[in-house]
Amino acid sequence: MSTNYFEEEEFTTTFNGQTFLRLVKELKPVWFYLAGILISIGFTSVFDSLFTYLNKLLVDDGILAGDPSQIRLNLIRYGVLALLQAVFVFAFIVLAGIVGEKVQLSLRQRLFSHLQKLSLSYYSVTPVGWIMSRVTSDVNRVANLLTWGVIDVSWGILNIIAATIFMLIINWRMALVVVFSIPILIVVAIKFRTSILKQYRQVRKQNSVITGQYNEMITGVRVIKALGREQGSLQEFRKESLTMYNSSYRAAVLSALFLPTIQLISSFILAGVVYYAGWQFDNLPGGITIGSIQAFMNYVTFMMWPIFDMARIFAEMQLAVASGERIFSLLDSVPAVQDADTAYDPGSIKGDIIFDNVTFWYDDDEEKLPVLKHFSLQVKQGETIALVGPTGGGKTTTVNLLARFYEPKEGEIRINGKNYRDYTLHGIHSRLGIVLQTPHLFSGTIMENIRYGRLDATDDEIIDAAKLAGAHQFISDLPKQYEEEVGEGGNLLSVGQKQLLSLARAILADPEIFIMDEATSSVDTMTEALIQKGMDRLLQSCTSFVIAHRLSTIKSADRILVIEDGQIQEMGTHAELIRKNGKYYQLYTKQFRQEKEAAYNLLTDDVTPVAAD
Amino acid sequence: MLAANYKEKQFDLAKVLGNKKLPAIIAMVKSYGWKYLGASIAVGISALGSTAQFFLLQYFIDDYLSARTATVGLLPIALSFVLLTLIRGIGSFFSGKWTVEISEGLTKRLRDFLFDHLQHLPYAYHNETDTGELIQRVTSDVDALRLFLGNNVIDIARTLILFIVNFIAIGLLNWRLAGLSIIAIPVVILVSIFFFKKISKVYEVYQEKEATLSTTLQENLAGVRVVKAFSREEYEIDKFGKNNRDRYTAGLKLNRMHAFFWPVSDIICSIQIVAGFYIGGMMALNGTITIGSYLAYTGMIFWIIFPMRNLGRLIVDMSRGFVSFERVRDILKVAREPLEQGDYMPEQIEGKVAFQNITFSYEDGHHVLEDITFEAKAGHSIALIGSTGSGKTTLVNLLPRFFEYTNGSITLDGVDLNRYPRSFLRKNIGIVEQEPFLFSRSIRDNIRYGVSRDVTEEEMIEAAKAAAIHDVILTFPHGYDTLVGERGVTLSGGQKQRVAIARTLLKNPKILIMDDSTSSVDTETEADIREALNHLMKTRTTFIIAHRIQSIINADLILVLDKQRIVQSGTHEELVQQEGLYREIFNIQTKIEDDLKKEIDSVN
Repeated sequence: MSTNYFEEEEFTTTFNGQTFLRLVKELKPVWFYLAGILISIGFTSVFDSLFTYLNKLLVDDGILAGDPSQIRLNLIRYGVLALLQAVFVFAFIVLAGIVGEKVQLSLRQRLFSHLQKLSLSYYSVTPVGWIMSRVTSDVNRVANLLTWGVIDVSWGILNIIAATIFMLIINWRMALVVVFSIPILIVVAIKFRTSILKQYRQVRKQNSVITGQYNEMITGVRVIKALGREQGSLQEFRKESLTMYNSSYRAAVLSALFLPTIQLISSFILAGVVYYAGWQFDNLPGGITIGSIQAFMNYVTFMMWPIFDMARIFAEMQLAVASGERIFSLLDSVPAVQDADTAYDPGSIKGDIIFDNVTFWYDDDEEKLPVLKHFSLQVKQGETIALVGPTGGGKTTTVNLLARFYEPKEGEIRINGKNYRDYTLHGIHSRLGIVLQTPHLFSGTIMENIRYGRLDATDDEIIDAAKLAGAHQFISDLPKQYEEEVGEGGNLLSVGQKQLLSLARAILADPEIFIMDEATSSVDTMTEALIQKGMDRLLQSCTSFVIAHRLSTIKSADRILVIEDGQIQEMGTHAELIRKNGKYYQLYTKQFRQEKEAAYNLLTDDVTPVAAD
Repeated sequence: MLAANYKEKQFDLAKVLGNKKLPAIIAMVKSYGWKYLGASIAVGISALGSTAQFFLLQYFIDDYLSARTATVGLLPIALSFVLLTLIRGIGSFFSGKWTVEISEGLTKRLRDFLFDHLQHLPYAYHNETDTGELIQRVTSDVDALRLFLGNNVIDIARTLILFIVNFIAIGLLNWRLAGLSIIAIPVVILVSIFFFKKISKVYEVYQEKEATLSTTLQENLAGVRVVKAFSREEYEIDKFGKNNRDRYTAGLKLNRMHAFFWPVSDIICSIQIVAGFYIGGMMALNGTITIGSYLAYTGMIFWIIFPMRNLGRLIVDMSRGFVSFERVRDILKVAREPLEQGDYMPEQIEGKVAFQNITFSYEDGHHVLEDITFEAKAGHSIALIGSTGSGKTTLVNLLPRFFEYTNGSITLDGVDLNRYPRSFLRKNIGIVEQEPFLFSRSIRDNIRYGVSRDVTEEEMIEAAKAAAIHDVILTFPHGYDTLVGERGVTLSGGQKQRVAIARTLLKNPKILIMDDSTSSVDTETEADIREALNHLMKTRTTFIIAHRIQSIINADLILVLDKQRIVQSGTHEELVQQEGLYREIFNIQTKIEDDLKKEIDSVN
């Protein structure tokens, strides 16, 4: 996947008919509303042309013929039609709203559901922002095309047809002059629109550059001040803001030219009509009436607007189809890890765990450099394994494979004697407990967040879990206790508190395998002790894998693995490995010093772990 | 014609901001007064051109077709329609052009000014202000202002001008008709304001729902491992589904507001139009006005009524613009740090620093430093040691005058620090932070960032070599041109620190402030960094914020800080002899080593 793939709003230059058809199919469930829209639009645009025609009748049969009853009659018709039209306008706006919202609702829901199926390998190569844009702005754009695009185009076409018919009725010769000039207007209008759109895309791009510059200046203001770079950075910013000025200027000037250009072209048509009408009036007595001339001039003048709208839609259609392409590419992507057809829920995943000659590389690595190489390991039910070693050594990959977020490229992982691919994903995941290094919480209350571990848990069970995790104390001190909101991503809580909650969540889930990635950032001693207590509870009851950063955790493990370069370099108990005086010894002594220094809190304010991910 | 020609007008925006809102806005746009006038005149010309066409129509119908008294031929009449359209087009083009010059010109000036203003605001301000909030103000609020001061103002002018021109034009046909044609206008305006106020409220709800949906999505994506680990896919789908439906309902509600507004306003306008047609038609029938006048009238009446429908939207938008203006003004009101203030700028400084009874407290009265007195000889290294919150960092922040001390005095080479301009001090002081900030540009640009003069390739490479980062850089795909950050390589903490050291070496300051933290670095690179640091410290007065005893043993002067005060000072040899905090720290370090030994022995 090239980096370009993730560039925002990349144009597909060719119009993809297949995608377009697929987009149109999205309208199938709402065809009923769509039919309503088309009918309402049909009446609206026919009425638009009728108004002009009624005015002609009013002039010719009323004023010129000296018949006030005709004036009244035609104005009553006019009024009734206007009322009816208001009803149709109401109808198509409402219906378009329904269609648009329904299309969005359904596309979003499908995208989201599909995202839940996709594997971690998808997420590791796809930026969150990219996915977000698919689900938000691309869906918006597609829905817009499918509603307002359809409306504007059908209104435009019907409007032109209706006007043409009336013109033909009034005076077919003159009508033909007008009809043949329409394509010129359309072509010019589409050309214009497309370049205006391109200019505005430029403006948007530049706008994000500007925002980026602000962001960098504000976050780096200390460095700018320290290096006395204010002048230089202002110069750089001025350059960008000038580019912004220039592209905005070009876009706006182009827009300002658009309307006059179209008007000028149609004024030639108008002049033609005037000239021809005048000539007919002079030379063919009774050939044309004053009312007809006025009606013609009106039709010609107002024909511009549907052309205007259609040009906009055609220009935007390309973008919307590109959006559709991206949406479908997401919907069509196949999860890397899926249940086999014969997969079953094992009922329990207690038992020994065996990594049998496992080799693994990440899919986005073009050279396929293995992160784990011929990795073999046997773990007894109930054992606690501590994983230590440098960043990038393969610790995280090991637990990711165990959790079946990824699957081995070679070799296999057996749980309770069976290749874990024989089991369903749900069967495995629902029996896992995981506490991440940077604990992730969801917006909502504390209660809701703990309940995430087991949805049918009672409030009492949740409080029990919180007590076991050592989280009850701090929760009780909060003003609203368990009903306290944790904020977006849990950011109203401290890291330590988040960790306690995620422990409670895992305890509530009552897992059979427990995976923990210890936090590297510091928490105060009190919290630290609480976390330790909560962890112990889980370590006792499960087969556990801990990416360990704290000495106490490491020392209390049944077995310690030093993982480096995708392989187990050293393995054994704390005492065995210390005696070995190898890599573990070094890691341990370094960590020992740092942890103690931190404990005395004299020189430093944060602990740095053996290795940070 | 498409080439923009931006002319810079220097302007101190902060100065024009008085206390009242409206005068402040006027002061801000004052230099664009002529452009506003020009754009309005252009709008007027465009309106005149369009209205003149109706008179031309009247002439064509009455004088040419009906009465046959026309003195001009058919062709000139037809071509006059083209000519008038051209005039109208020119007017509308120039109004568009000048509007963008106003709105973009004002915005550019505002952006530049805000950018410069923000980087000149005191360090304390940035410490307290949320980055996201600032960004919001300098982007969204500035954009709202752009629409407000440019487009909205001109749009309102256009609506009024169209009204005036067409009203007078109808008046020229028949004043009674003109009077009867504007009866519905107050109703249209009121309805429009009423609806758009409501719409803007409903729109806010809609945006809230949309934001909630985004948050749910974003949290789900960020927490994908948790979702999978607990097998909560179904639950998440339900949650998203609920938010999705909420947004759907809000969307429909917003849509319904529009669905009511447009037909309702259509009906009001239609009533006025039908009434106008009737009155006009009867007048034409009676011969009060000519048939041509009637036809001209049927064209003009649209131009009076329909633009009025948008007034509501414009007024609601403008009230939003006012809010944004206030939010931007809040930033502009904060006083800048006077960088150039000061009268003493020697050719070169020696680097002798003396603190005399320095006290520093924040505005809220919270004391950070008390009675700090010491002297640093030129070229010496001074280590600061003490627990978090003891004031180490604040102390060194006083030197480049990031903060202003409250009491006492600091001298540099015997001259009061306040006599040196801040810019001068910062030029002569280098800072290497614990977590250095690098800019998302090439490594080359990052290293050269600290010096404004041209730097030769050799100089830069030399600095990189001295900072022990040259070899690392060569392993990157584009060497020195490799971009730092998201779009290029992600540097480790130690690599960042060494790039920052190279940056400082190139800057070549006489005084150096260093946060000596090598804890985030692998053992192999620690030695490299130490070497780089030693290189850097040579011939400079260096202040080290120390985290480990090992790194300060060689310091010329060690200051031990505790509870905002210096409790001990001297060299390592002197301090270990004394009873006190330093010895305690030193003993703890020794104790840790003993503990470790015991630990390991116990295993064996």
